[in-house]
Amino acid sequence: MAAWVKGGATDADAAVMAAARLLSSAHAPVFAGLNAEVAAIRAAYDLAGRIGASVDTAGGDATYADLGALARVGAMQAPPAEVAGRADAVLVVGEAPLKSPLVERLRGTKPVRGRAAGAERSIHHLRSNQDLAVQIAHLRAHARGHMTSDAGMAETARAMASALYGAVLYDPGELGTLGIEMLQGLAMDLNESTRCFALSVSDGTQDRAALQVAAWTTGQATRVGFGRRVPEQDPWRFDADRQARAGEADAALWLASLPTPRPTWLKTLPTVALVGADAAPDLAEVVIRVGEPGRETGGVLWNEGRAGLSYRAPEQGADLPTAADIIARIAAAVAGRGAVAGRSAVANSEDA
Amino acid sequence: MLIRIQGGRVVDPTAGRDAVGDVWVEDGRIVAPPSDRKPDQTLDAAGCVVMAGGVEVHSHIAGGNVVTSRLLLPELYVSEAAPEGHPFAHAGGAAGWIGATYARMGYTTAVEPAMPPVHALATQLELADIPLLDRGALTVLGNDDHLLQILRDGEGRAAVRDLVALNVATSRGLGVKCINAGGASAFKDGALKLSLDDEIPCYGLSTRKIMGALLDAVEEIGVPHPLHVHCNNLGLPGADDSLVATLDAAEGRRIHFAHAQFYAYGVSDPENPMTGGFRSAARRIVDAMMTNPQASLDIGQVVFGQTVTVSLDILRQFGGRKGAKPKKWVLNAGDAEGGGVVPFLYRPKGPTSSLQWAIGLEIMLLSGDPERTILTTDHPNGGPFTQYPRIIHLLMDKEARDREIATLPGIVKERSEIATIEREYTFSEIAQLTRSGPAKLLGLDDRGHLRAGGRADIAIYRDDPDRTAMFTAAKFVLKDGHVIVEDGQVVDWRAGRSLALTVESDRAMERRTETYLQDRYGQGLDSFAVPEAAFATDKPVFEDVACRT
Ligand SMILES: [Zn+2]
Repeated sequence: MAAWVKGGATDADAAVMAAARLLSSAHAPVFAGLNAEVAAIRAAYDLAGRIGASVDTAGGDATYADLGALARVGAMQAPPAEVAGRADAVLVVGEAPLKSPLVERLRGTKPVRGRAAGAERSIHHLRSNQDLAVQIAHLRAHARGHMTSDAGMAETARAMASALYGAVLYDPGELGTLGIEMLQGLAMDLNESTRCFALSVSDGTQDRAALQVAAWTTGQATRVGFGRRVPEQDPWRFDADRQARAGEADAALWLASLPTPRPTWLKTLPTVALVGADAAPDLAEVVIRVGEPGRETGGVLWNEGRAGLSYRAPEQGADLPTAADIIARIAAAVAGRGAVAGRSAVANSEDA
Repeated sequence: MLIRIQGGRVVDPTAGRDAVGDVWVEDGRIVAPPSDRKPDQTLDAAGCVVMAGGVEVHSHIAGGNVVTSRLLLPELYVSEAAPEGHPFAHAGGAAGWIGATYARMGYTTAVEPAMPPVHALATQLELADIPLLDRGALTVLGNDDHLLQILRDGEGRAAVRDLVALNVATSRGLGVKCINAGGASAFKDGALKLSLDDEIPCYGLSTRKIMGALLDAVEEIGVPHPLHVHCNNLGLPGADDSLVATLDAAEGRRIHFAHAQFYAYGVSDPENPMTGGFRSAARRIVDAMMTNPQASLDIGQVVFGQTVTVSLDILRQFGGRKGAKPKKWVLNAGDAEGGGVVPFLYRPKGPTSSLQWAIGLEIMLLSGDPERTILTTDHPNGGPFTQYPRIIHLLMDKEARDREIATLPGIVKERSEIATIEREYTFSEIAQLTRSGPAKLLGLDDRGHLRAGGRADIAIYRDDPDRTAMFTAAKFVLKDGHVIVEDGQVVDWRAGRSLALTVESDRAMERRTETYLQDRYGQGLDSFAVPEAAFATDKPVFEDVACRT
């Protein structure tokens, strides 16, 4: 196993002890990234709950763009295989979704299930040359018959309204909460007379896996803090970048067993980094190389094509610890230090 | 270790037992009283009622819709500071809280009734994080294109059986459920309403045909739990016709009706069936059950207050979306069933909610067989499961019932019989409603009773005339012979197991399904699997439950 403390190579035990020391002596530790397999995400929430850390994810801004709209109006949505199998009209909003392999697939196929089966599929595009939220508002007004001024908009609105099964693809990070709210409103309007569903294209992080784990583990979404011993969700307060910039955080755990763009604050805060193949001695104060899920170790990951979780067996055998193992060892070391008195029992124990 | 539970009132209707005595436990099992050995541990049950651990058959405690409901309405549950030993046990609505709250109430097994096979892994991962309880999930079928194709093409019983078996095996289900069979498919093709014999667009099928095929498949596979059926037309006036017609369509085959309260709505004004409201059809439903001993139901009792409804019945959730309070909802038109999450307020003292409240109690109070009349709130659809102690209180105490009825609008007395029913449930009947009945229904012979050989899942309650207090926080709860709750507090954060049927799947159907899935998703059966390795633990997660032979 490769591990480094302050740039010097060391063994697993020493790195785990250093990590436990670093995290348990902090007043306001932040756990960030969480671009990892479900077991590691789960272990991270558990440790955060025990030491009073706050948690954020690599795709937090996009995730909360969707959640912001969800909290206000809800959603009307469908998964990718349903859109590919049923949609006779697709509206792509903005530029980011064009990078999704789904758009390619939609262009090359026809609906095969349901009442639109066999029909041609029309694909429409709303360009982001103006504010997308404003454009969707205009489109919605055209769909409702409140506006007729823009011929292109009117044409798109007509196409979606006359479709048997419409779908609207968007990227939450690009569109933002207000735009998503407007887009969901459009889908809801269209369902008064036909079927139309929104589809949020993921940014490639494990945020959607983390969102599920967070919800069943804490009852809340991903950005939660445990400083007051109850999970408190606050998308602004527990934004890890903001906390680091504002000097509120005094230590961090960076969890990225999958390749992830690194935040700029990684070297400015005392940090424990659990990372995959891109591990390097000077990445953070404590660096532990962990297996990359689905490649070097097994793990449950977000499956974009199915919009759900799937187990991925390792492609090759690798003698590397999983991130979940390392976090569990850090947790045990933290408990052993008695850093948080009376909170040392291990949940889900099954003694004989 | 030999444990003696001493001097409690032992209530086990399966053994005709209701008297003060002892229960002995060794190695996780209930044992006959040993003639010549001293116990290693004695639990004083004097002044207490001793029952088997509670068994939940229908509570939405895991899965995509439950996750969505937490994101849509995070303020529904209050979180408190965590107790010793588990960081999330007081995180309202979370898995740790669910396990702890059930365990404190004396429940030791809980079943999530709606696991879509496409998301089985997520549901099973979430269930495995519920501490203290054994848990399981029912595999939902009845709207998936692959099944509907096989039925449309008239491929016959063996093909349906093999596909059902493959789905149960892959998802590691404990039983099979159908939810408004064909309804989600019809919704995607524009339908807004569906009854038993309406045609499902594009397939030329009906709910009757789909459900009938699933009823047969469940019997042929030997699934211990009968097909768990969520009928058409939930919550509409005249839904009693749907339930009775569905029972007739079962033609004598075993069938379980989910949340029957939501169907016990007779049309109040035959001249205006959809606008004249409803009246209680509790007696009609109970009579139908009494003449069909192969059928059972759970209640779906309504309790007053804010909740969030979660259901894979997307047709019904779409129909109910405009009643959302607060005004937001999520509809997910998923790969087969999808689902809908609609916040809802059962208005305290409101005429409709009051009548619903009365009808649920009425079904239980009129029932001639509490073992086939299982207490649920369809958590969280009728209200949270945390209200079971209060519901038990109302069943056991006519005066408490009268006091509550007196605060409700007159419609309760006009349109239901609730006020005229004198019956008070006994402890034995409560045990049938919450222990022996659900255990038998799930086909779990090792629980729901206190006979020798049974699993030592045991609840010990202080006998308190305030039945709400009594059943909210047990004095002791044992899981597999270990004391997990003492004086209403969790003292041992053990993990239970996930109960899953052992089902053989047919190789030819596996190959055929692989081809189908690759074509539809670009991914095969592998991506739907629920392997032990996914749980990243060296402890066993699952426990096998055998099919009937
Ligand atoms: Zn239900």
